[in-house]
Amino acid sequence: MIGYVVKRVLESVALLLGVLILVFFMVRLTGNPVALMLPQDATLEQRDAFAAAMGLDRPVPVQFAEYMWGAVQGDLGDSLRRRQPNLEIIVERLPATVELAGAALLFAMVVAIPIGLAGGMRPGSWIDSVARGIGLAGQTIPNFWLGMLLIVFFAVELRWLPAFGRDGFSSIVLPAIALGFAGMGQLARLTRSAVLEVRKSDYLRTALAKGVPARTVSLKHVLPNVAIPIVSVIGIQFTYLLGGSVYIEVVFAWPGLGTLLETAIRDTDFPLVQAITVFISMFAIVIHLATDLAYGAIDPRLRIS
Amino acid sequence: MKTRILTLLGLALMAALPLAFAQEGGTLRVALSSDPTSLFMPRTADRTASNASWPLYDGLVWIDDDGEVAPMLATDWTVSDDGTEYVFTLREGVTFHDGQPFTSADVVATWETGMDDSNDYAQRFTMADSVEAIDDHTVRITTPEPNAVFLTTLANDWAIVPHEYINAVGLDAFARNPVGTGPFRYVSRTAGDRIVYERNDDYWQEGLPYLDGVEFRVIPDPSTRMAAIQTGSIDIANRLTAEQVEVLEGAPGVDLVSYLNDRVYYVAFKNIGSGVGTPLEDARVRQALNYGLDRFGINQAIFSGQANAAPGFVVEGNLGYDEEMMQPFPYDPERARELLAEAGYEDGFEIVMGCPADGYININEVCQAISSSLAGIGVDVDVDFQTTGTFWSEARYAVTGPMYVDSWSSEMGEALPRLEGALVPGNYYNTWEDERIADLIERIQQEVDRDARAELYQEMHRLMVEDPPFIYLYQPVIFEATADNVVGYLPRPAEDYYLHSVRFAD
Repeated sequence: MIGYVVKRVLESVALLLGVLILVFFMVRLTGNPVALMLPQDATLEQRDAFAAAMGLDRPVPVQFAEYMWGAVQGDLGDSLRRRQPNLEIIVERLPATVELAGAALLFAMVVAIPIGLAGGMRPGSWIDSVARGIGLAGQTIPNFWLGMLLIVFFAVELRWLPAFGRDGFSSIVLPAIALGFAGMGQLARLTRSAVLEVRKSDYLRTALAKGVPARTVSLKHVLPNVAIPIVSVIGIQFTYLLGGSVYIEVVFAWPGLGTLLETAIRDTDFPLVQAITVFISMFAIVIHLATDLAYGAIDPRLRIS
Repeated sequence: MKTRILTLLGLALMAALPLAFAQEGGTLRVALSSDPTSLFMPRTADRTASNASWPLYDGLVWIDDDGEVAPMLATDWTVSDDGTEYVFTLREGVTFHDGQPFTSADVVATWETGMDDSNDYAQRFTMADSVEAIDDHTVRITTPEPNAVFLTTLANDWAIVPHEYINAVGLDAFARNPVGTGPFRYVSRTAGDRIVYERNDDYWQEGLPYLDGVEFRVIPDPSTRMAAIQTGSIDIANRLTAEQVEVLEGAPGVDLVSYLNDRVYYVAFKNIGSGVGTPLEDARVRQALNYGLDRFGINQAIFSGQANAAPGFVVEGNLGYDEEMMQPFPYDPERARELLAEAGYEDGFEIVMGCPADGYININEVCQAISSSLAGIGVDVDVDFQTTGTFWSEARYAVTGPMYVDSWSSEMGEALPRLEGALVPGNYYNTWEDERIADLIERIQQEVDRDARAELYQEMHRLMVEDPPFIYLYQPVIFEATADNVVGYLPRPAEDYYLHSVRFAD
């Protein structure tokens, strides 16, 4: 078991280093921040002075070493534009993003699991068609487009819900649906197929044969057995939602990490873009690691391989 | 007949109603297209940030609704004969939001903190050589040489800050909790979401502002801004697209506003670097390219007619603009071919044109259209699309192609920043060297008299048409929408929200 844990942790650290390196160099491919940040009419001397003040005149390897050294110590640098520590800016925006990701996940689960369960129990029935339809729709409809559609219909036409912003419960409904839609599709499909799988098992046939009511069979025998794959997908979904909410946050003007990333890119705020990307990656890596370790604890077969 | 007069009377009355019943109070909700980087003016890296910041501050002077420099915190001023020394008399009895009185020390502090190297707009302050307090309410500012746009820059960029407070807390802390003398005072800010201001009850302009407060809401996506104005959850939305305006036309409760943006799009030529030895060195060729480009067709096809064909660098709304004199080049392919033939290029020529892919609205289509339009006069333009990162990271003389598409805004009500940026030899983005133009720019820079400057601009226009350093393209239109009960909102060329005299109709 210890060998398994060490192996997983080392893998995660290597992955994190890879992310740090990749992000640093990718951000630098997008152009020179001095030219993009200063007004068009800035002279060469002003450009040089500004670059020096911002530390952008030093050789890239030096900047890289400093960035890596800081990152190892948990220092994600300062924003070029906002003159504030990046971590401070990120932490300020994090609650909004976690809230939205949580709501999206909740929406996906509440819709997908019952329908997937019901559909899987009665393959070929109307409820099964609904489950398959949801699975297909969730995986084919782009979320930002769905977001705009929801705004036009529920905010502009019906006036039921706000079109944008973060103002209490009513404002989270539309972005949560738009963001959770893809996950809902995936969960519905997964639940349905897991149920179909379990249904083929001998113990279930026995339960049904001895006359246990279908409802009890679903809740007592099917649900616990399909829970494991569902839970693991939920973990993955959550990390995906944290990082994948950029479009949705922008469409709904939701003040989270996604809109922050969008502004940072637009402002060519290299250190901030870097910091957000690293932060989200770190989040994802930690959650994956936790899921893997939990798996190892649950399922002994994984520890051996 | 009688009923008709009554109807007219009724209509006139109804038109007068909004003003008659305009009421004080209320909070104006204004959409911002991005989260301001700072509320400290020298660090407001984009226009959105300076728009959101200005309601907190006043300048020494401001540009009034007629485009003239008018008193604000300075009641009057004198300029020395050589144009390098200004003496301002400051308004008495003005206090900052923190209760401190406004004096000449604050003007000095504004200049000193503005020049800080960490500021994006430091050069708007280093343009002054010295700022001295003569007494509590008199300030002398000197510039190294006469500067035609000195007062305009004061109006646009020098937001007066309180010296004691800013020196005590430093620039970073000031930016997080800004203090000015403006009509509104800072209340709170939620990152990425909103900025809240309340009425400054002690504002020095009697009776102003009318509103109880202003709330800026950050809405990055233009479609969402459109939805927000349609649902009445904001009162002003700017930066809308022409397509959105078509949708909003006739929408209940929404008024549309459009005005010309002080930005000129053009195709630049090079007579240095890769421009040397190309047909572009011949003025007749450059004229031919101007005649041979169907800028009206491009405007119609790509902007649904919602842009102005640019006559040159001096455009509508600029000092010295004269509609009669400044007509755009007509589309005349025949004349273009004649000119090409005169220059010895009857069979046309091939040339590369750099284009900042997705750098501006619809710019990719514009570049393609230029290429196909000029093919009509036998000039084979090879469009070289570059990412904006590459395109703008390098000084423009290093960019490939003896031609490239670009634009310059001005925000000052005159063409000078545009001329300086694109045509002063040695400047970062300049690729065209013409001594006559450079001399004329210098004369404009140093001409403090507006009327004399207007004439110089006209002379510049004639020169830039006879021997054009660019193909002039278009000047875009900006679209905004307001709730129909917003009264007294006048969009300004720099897109700034001047909210002193805005109020709600009943």
